[in-house]
Amino acid sequence: MSFIDTHLVLLPIATPLVGAMLALLLRRWGRVQAYGAAGTMGLSLAFSALLLARVITGGEAVVLQVGGWRFPYGISLVGDPLSALFVVMSQLVLCAGLIYALGSKDAIIRYPPFYPLFLLLSTGLTGAFLTGDLFNLFVFAELLVISGATLTAASDDRYGTEAAYKYFYMSLLASTFMLLAIGSLYVSYGTLNMADLAGRIAARPDGSLTTAAIALLMATFMIKSAVFPFHFWQPDFHAAAPTAVSAMLSSVVVKVGVYGFLRMTTLLFVAQAPLIRAILLVLGVVGVVFGGLSAVGTHNVKRMLAYSTLAQVGFILVGIGWGTAPALMAAVVFSFNHSLIKAAMLMLAGYVASRAPVKSASFDVVTGVGRQLPAAGVLFFLGGLGLSGIPPTNGFISKLLLFRSGIEAARFVPLLIIGLASILTLVYVIRSFQTIWWHAPPAETRLKPTGDSLVAPALLIGLVLLFGLWAEPLVKVASDVSLWLMDPALYIAAVGGTGG
Amino acid sequence: MELLTALTVGLLFAIGIFQMLRRNIIRSTIGLIILANAVNLFLLSTGAYDGTVAAYTTTTGQRSDALPQALVLTAIVISMGGTAFVLSMLYIISSRYETADMDDVQGLKH
Repeated sequence: MSFIDTHLVLLPIATPLVGAMLALLLRRWGRVQAYGAAGTMGLSLAFSALLLARVITGGEAVVLQVGGWRFPYGISLVGDPLSALFVVMSQLVLCAGLIYALGSKDAIIRYPPFYPLFLLLSTGLTGAFLTGDLFNLFVFAELLVISGATLTAASDDRYGTEAAYKYFYMSLLASTFMLLAIGSLYVSYGTLNMADLAGRIAARPDGSLTTAAIALLMATFMIKSAVFPFHFWQPDFHAAAPTAVSAMLSSVVVKVGVYGFLRMTTLLFVAQAPLIRAILLVLGVVGVVFGGLSAVGTHNVKRMLAYSTLAQVGFILVGIGWGTAPALMAAVVFSFNHSLIKAAMLMLAGYVASRAPVKSASFDVVTGVGRQLPAAGVLFFLGGLGLSGIPPTNGFISKLLLFRSGIEAARFVPLLIIGLASILTLVYVIRSFQTIWWHAPPAETRLKPTGDSLVAPALLIGLVLLFGLWAEPLVKVASDVSLWLMDPALYIAAVGGTGG
Repeated sequence: MELLTALTVGLLFAIGIFQMLRRNIIRSTIGLIILANAVNLFLLSTGAYDGTVAAYTTTTGQRSDALPQALVLTAIVISMGGTAFVLSMLYIISSRYETADMDDVQGLKH
């Protein structure tokens, strides 16, 4: 591969990082900083789309050994089909988030470190998906956590600091788990490069600390993805964050854990994968039911959507838990589609809250507010269809693929439970739609004349419809991803084969 | 030496986890800091003590593994940044509620 080809994998990480530093220097020129940050994200999205196109058409991973160190010794950046697709997904949603921030009236948007922190969030997320080194994954995940927590701590919401404290405390705990896992794996196998580690674990799956490392890594990724028993920080945190940020946290940031589980079951711990899958299946089913029931019982649109994320991540985990090629494909498509839908829905909830008499997404405040906001109503309705999996949205495609893979794998009990629990999605989506757009407001409500801009959610809902009506390219890419994931030797050969 | 390190790591873990479970938020944060340091010591012990001579020097002898030292340096820096951030949030929270008791901090339970 040529120099340009291999360095393509560096660009989606480096662009937002450099942009963050420049944005920090430009802090006195607010508008220049804002549009510069948007331009940086757009550029970064273009690079990641190029990377995905390169990976899919070339049929092989793009690998960069950073600093020219030989294979197992240095840090490898690996753009394989899975990471390239996840990077495109996150950059797409992050771009929309930045567009939302440009049109937002929140006080935190005018705070000079906002855009640098947002770009660092993007760096951390992209880096976590693209790195091929376990310790480097930890570093990028920390960058992600710190910038996300800082943005929430400075939120307009009164309780932002408490929610950020809760989240950050849990994340520090998760990072101690991850360091313990890294140490255990290093003692047992003497390497931290994921490809090298996968080869060595496959050769000797019963290292003395391997089981401990698996348990610790699972706990780490469960906290990152807010999987059922570790979810308690998530609704507070996602509801208190500024809208532009909470739309990112609840859609793409939770996918770090999903990505981690995909890598654990298909690359690192293939020998122990049946046990991991069994646990993920149970937790996923519990998450679907629990998240759905909790979402029905909330009194705040943002909290409802945060609990809904818990349920939707449950669906993805069920797909990973089944572990067959069609199920993995469904999990990947589900992750992609859920990111678009959930980001759009949270932005719409934030838009309604920004126009409401008191800035809040609580049902008491926003009842009937939507009667004067018909455009947002149409978008929310379409997004709701997507969330509950009704055509012509992309949510339908994800659920169709997931349920079909379950039927093929003959796993009827979990299928029945998640099928019944997905009715809950319809219940809470319809209830929130009725409350905001149909019910009469309690007294004469005076809306604020201006609020956040509707451009970003409209763009995302457009994509939701586009991927619902024309799902073929995404499904094709996801099926390439699933075939790639089914054979861990491909990843190991791709990383080990260059510069070694 | 190995036994001593193992005992120290274990003791630090025990103290850290015990303090984390306290109701006082300042104590629980200190518990987290102790836990982070226990992990750092654990990381250091994964290979740094195998040799007796620093790596990349001209001195002869069994060289120690440089990687855990690099890892632990990174981990220390990150946990320091994290600790500073946690403490600053702790300061805001405890001055807003004028208490350090977790049960009295209930703004989120609305």
